Amino acid sequence: MAQKPKVDPHVGRLGYLQALVTEFQETESQDAKEQVLANLANFAYDPSNYQYLRQLQVVDLFLDSLSEENETLVEFAIGSSPVGKCRVLSMARVDSTQLAPRGGTQVSLFGSHKQHHRGLCNLCPDRANKEHILQAGGVPLITSCLSSPNEETVLSAVTTLMYLSSPGPGARPELSTEPVVQCMLRFSLSANARLRNLAQIFLEDFCTPSQVAEARGRQAHSALGIPLPRTEAPPRP
Amino acid sequence: MASGGGELGVVFDHHAQKAACDTRAKYWEGRQPRTAKVYTINLESRYLLIQGVPAVGAKGVERFALYGPIEQYKPLDEYPEEDFTEVYLIKFVNLQSARTAKKKMDEQSFFGGLLHVCYAPEFETVEETRKKLQERKAYIARSTKNKDYYMTKKKLTPEHKDMKDFRPDFYSEMSGFCAATLNTSTWNSNPSLPYSCELPLCYFSSQSTCSSGEHVDGPSNFSKDDRHHDDTVEQCNHNSLQKIQMNTLKSHVASSATQKPIPSSEAVGRFMPRTTQLQERKRRREDDRKLGAVETGFSGNEVMTGPLLPDTPRVDMHDDSLNTTANLIRNKLKEVSSSAPKPPEDKVEDVPASRPFKQRRI
Repeated sequence: MAQKPKVDPHVGRLGYLQALVTEFQETESQDAKEQVLANLANFAYDPSNYQYLRQLQVVDLFLDSLSEENETLVEFAIGSSPVGKCRVLSMARVDSTQLAPRGGTQVSLFGSHKQHHRGLCNLCPDRANKEHILQAGGVPLITSCLSSPNEETVLSAVTTLMYLSSPGPGARPELSTEPVVQCMLRFSLSANARLRNLAQIFLEDFCTPSQVAEARGRQAHSALGIPLPRTEAPPRP
Repeated sequence: MASGGGELGVVFDHHAQKAACDTRAKYWEGRQPRTAKVYTINLESRYLLIQGVPAVGAKGVERFALYGPIEQYKPLDEYPEEDFTEVYLIKFVNLQSARTAKKKMDEQSFFGGLLHVCYAPEFETVEETRKKLQERKAYIARSTKNKDYYMTKKKLTPEHKDMKDFRPDFYSEMSGFCAATLNTSTWNSNPSLPYSCELPLCYFSSQSTCSSGEHVDGPSNFSKDDRHHDDTVEQCNHNSLQKIQMNTLKSHVASSATQKPIPSSEAVGRFMPRTTQLQERKRRREDDRKLGAVETGFSGNEVMTGPLLPDTPRVDMHDDSLNTTANLIRNKLKEVSSSAPKPPEDKVEDVPASRPFKQRRI
């Protein structure tokens, strides 16, 4: 689980986290960035860190990288080597001009964003973090990750949506839109047991029966990951 | 038990070990090389997959019982394995036990080989997953709420609700060491019962809920496979129980002290091992009741108002772990003896009645 570093006693928890964030911003090493993100995501598991993480805007850091990832899905080709590659990130809101990687580093979809997802998944059950994510417009970012080819990303995204949807169905309508419900219906039939379980819980606990019924009715018309517009409805053979 | 839907024997990504990372800045090098793995509540599970257990029967599983009550376990024959080793699936009663066990036992050498321990959430039922997520949320809500109270230093009535929340965890962990009321004869007739060592502290189990009774629902039953483990259980029961008792309690206390990422320097003052916190709160609650004092939050750094009652003289055994154990035992004794005059009289009846024999319902 989380590492236990040798901390200078004078530094304290906040100082330590600050050092991590600073390193993330300043280092050139992609490996180091990934390590830092993993570390932050692990810290995000412990509620006692949440005030510090909010203070250091780590929640925004995670969200920012989600938004980058989504643009990359559209603009860049999938990189070949998965683990160990990381895109350049910064604390400031990223615009498209900053998306080009430095020094010819290979762009990959499967590097650091995993940690962002897990980081968000870890800290989103907290009420204050949840509000922050919702207000920062995090929902569409997370929903679009449902179509990621990475298994853990999808699982984290589903779980995050559930925690954001709490307490129950109807509380947050933007979280159970039809494409999302359809997606969950597909997941509930998956061979992957974990995905199946999570999707089932989502459908049972966070969707109204009518939503599910309606989505089920249209399910035949949606391709995997890309919900088709309603007017196009090629019937399944 | 959930079969995993045709996925038996599939090696999942999260089962695989990653190469140790060596590109860390100096200031946060851990004591051992670590991989950059992030755990979410999704990945964690009461189910652990143990690889690399030498084919020596259930000795490997025995070790894991130290970390908490095991609800079920079985060898996974269909899982790809190295020669001369076996793969086991262990289902702990508590997620926390699984966490600790994984942390402690992963990559430990065992009978000359190396154990590899990982979570196996794919074996969970829907209900188990749901419960897991809910508990995570509840835990965060509790932690945050109490942290707020601590920060503002308000005076509150004692956190009875939290006590109740913690109590089953604490006791069910204890009951792992004293599931106790089982004799070998009952063991033989109930092969699907959880595996644990019998200890003299058996009367504690009456205080805890019968944890296996809660969790053994329809699909999650190991059946025929466990009969051949009976011999080793008997052997376990007859081994030097005192030694096991001390060791298990010691490791229990140690493990419960390291369950979460430990807050560093500034929080050191209020960090206490969980068991001690529980004892302290109980003691103070009793004191408060007598003195009418009001207690602050439960963070462990509480401000006591009013004079402390004189305590029974404590023997110092010149060893921290032994002292902790002795304190545990002493507090338990106090509690059991003080439970007699209290209103829930049925509890008192349960103590002697259930002590010699406890039938587990499946």
